[in-house]
Formats: sequence, C-alpha cells, structure tokens
Amino acid sequence: MNRIGLAKWLLSLSLTFAMLGIAIAGEPQEQLKQTTDKVLSVLSDPSLKSPNKTKERKGLILKIVDERFDWEEMARRSLSRHWAQRTSEEKKEFVTLIKGLLERVYMDKVEGYSWDKIIYEGERIDGDYATIKVKIYTEKDQTISVEYRTWKKGNQWLVYDFLIEGVGMVNNYRTQFNEIIAKSSYQELIKRLKAKSTQN
Amino acid sequence: MKKFDIELAVGLFVLAGILCLGYLSVKLGKMEIVGGKGYEIYAIFSNSGGVKEGSNIVIAGVEVGRVKSIVLENYQARIVLSLPREIKIHEDAIASIKTKGLVGEKYIEITPGGSEKVIAPGGKIRETQPSVDLEELISKLVFEKI
Repeated sequence: MNRIGLAKWLLSLSLTFAMLGIAIAGEPQEQLKQTTDKVLSVLSDPSLKSPNKTKERKGLILKIVDERFDWEEMARRSLSRHWAQRTSEEKKEFVTLIKGLLERVYMDKVEGYSWDKIIYEGERIDGDYATIKVKIYTEKDQTISVEYRTWKKGNQWLVYDFLIEGVGMVNNYRTQFNEIIAKSSYQELIKRLKAKSTQN
Repeated sequence: MKKFDIELAVGLFVLAGILCLGYLSVKLGKMEIVGGKGYEIYAIFSNSGGVKEGSNIVIAGVEVGRVKSIVLENYQARIVLSLPREIKIHEDAIASIKTKGLVGEKYIEITPGGSEKVIAPGGKIRETQPSVDLEELISKLVFEKI
C-alpha cells in the first residue's frame, strides 16, 4: 500500500515536472524573438531613418543587442586556451575589442539588409543550453539560416555563439586568434584588433 | 616419414600465412581487437555531410582518432568519436565536419577549448558545426546576382 502511494506521488511529481518542462520550453526562442523584434522596430522606425540619425539608431540597436549577447563568454570561447593566461585587465580589454569587432562586422549587415520576414524554426534545449534555428528571408527572396547558441544565466538565455549558414563565429575567430598567437604573440593580436577598430 | 614432414611444413606455412593476413587486415583496417586504449565521446550534428565510420578525427591537422559509429537520433546525426586516453577534450571544444580540399574525403576537426572542465568518457561535445554545403552556398551567391 505504501509502495503504491509512493508510486502515485512519484508519478504526479514527474507529471508536474513534465508540464513545467512544456511551459519552460519556448523560453529561449521567445526571448530571442523579443530582442529581434525590438531591433526590427528600430530599423523600421521612420523617425530614425534619416542619415543624420544613423548614430542614434546604431546606439539603440547596440543597446538592445547588448542585453541578449554574452560578450565575455564569446571572448572567452574565441580565445580558448589563451584566455586563462591573461590578467583580468587584459581580459576586460579583450572583451571590449571583440565586441567592437563584431559590431563593425555585423552592424552594417543588419542595417543594410532588407529583411522580409524571419521564421523561427524551433529550438533544442539541453539543460542550461539551447540552440535556436532561425531563417531570415530577404526581399530578394534569399534565405539565410542562422543558428543561435544560448545558455542560461539567471532567467535570461544569452547568446554565446552563432552560426551563419553553418559557419560558426566562435570557431572562426578561435582558429584565427590561435594562429596569430602561435605565429607571433598575444600583443600582436591586440595590436591587429586595435588597428581594425580604428579603420573606420 | 618424409611425406609427413612436407605436410607439416606446408601446414605451418599456411598457418603463418593466415596469421600474417590476420595481422595485416587488423593493421590496415585499424581495428581494435582487445578493448583499445582509448575512450569514447559523442557529438550531435545537424548534418553529418557523409562522414563515415572510420573517418579521421583531427586536432591542429594531426590525426588523433576515428569515428566509431554514426546513427540517426531525433533526425540528427549522433557520431561517436574514439580518442586516445592521453588526449583530453575540453567542454567548450568545437567539433566541425570538414572536407579535404573541395571534393575530398570528410573528416572531423576539433578546435580545442579553454574551459577548465574536461569531457568525461561517454560525454558529449556540445558545440558542433555541420558540414557546409559548398554547392548550396555557391548557388546562393549565383542567384543573388540575378
């Protein structure tokens, strides 16, 4: 009798958790969608369209993206083995540099594209990690598939890596940074990143 | 008596031949007979791109292991990698499927991570990158121009 009681209790407990699971599922995608929608609303805002408002618009987009992207984790993963050897000041400097690099590379793309629609193709949650697949349709009927890798920090799912057409951002920079450090030094890498940031 | 000697010699010769053949096939096929000296971890790819059992696993261009098995799981490819024990894979390592040259054979490259956590035997490489379909990418470039 006791055993049956326990079994019932366990069953109801597992059912509760299963339902909780269903309720939680969709959270990473929902949060990403909110961020994207905010960026899109800034892009389509007619009051921000004029060329002299470019700076303001970029600032707004950056602020929105900032909330969703885990720059430190991106920097840590890109630098991989070399991250642990850096002092905390060097780490801080590197995070700002990589943030600047990504901003320059992707900001123009985000701004320049005429986005038609964005389809969320679903997510896969694995503990504190989640992958979200997105398809972007441009007005030229071109599709770009993007995969976001997120992890949970508090109650926020933050992006630490993304793949465009299957090519990963972190993996790309990890290979490049490792090559530069192996050939010359970490200081050389910083020098190059700084040179890039003053380019435009 | 003499006949028996010849038969014995032939028998031994054939036996030696079979042993050699066995040794060769094990060596060439790079099979493991007794357990092997390594450990296994797995990775889930959205596209295996035609990696096969026995395909190479490469770190920094050096062959370190082989693909043990590939199965379809939840409409994704689950690939088991067999690695020697002395090679530790960190938790944030990235496994990506690459092609030798443009049309060469497929292999799996692992770019080592810097995390303090090491993936235990039977564990999973979370970060994976599917095989990039060059044909698809080129067609995208082509069609944009029209």
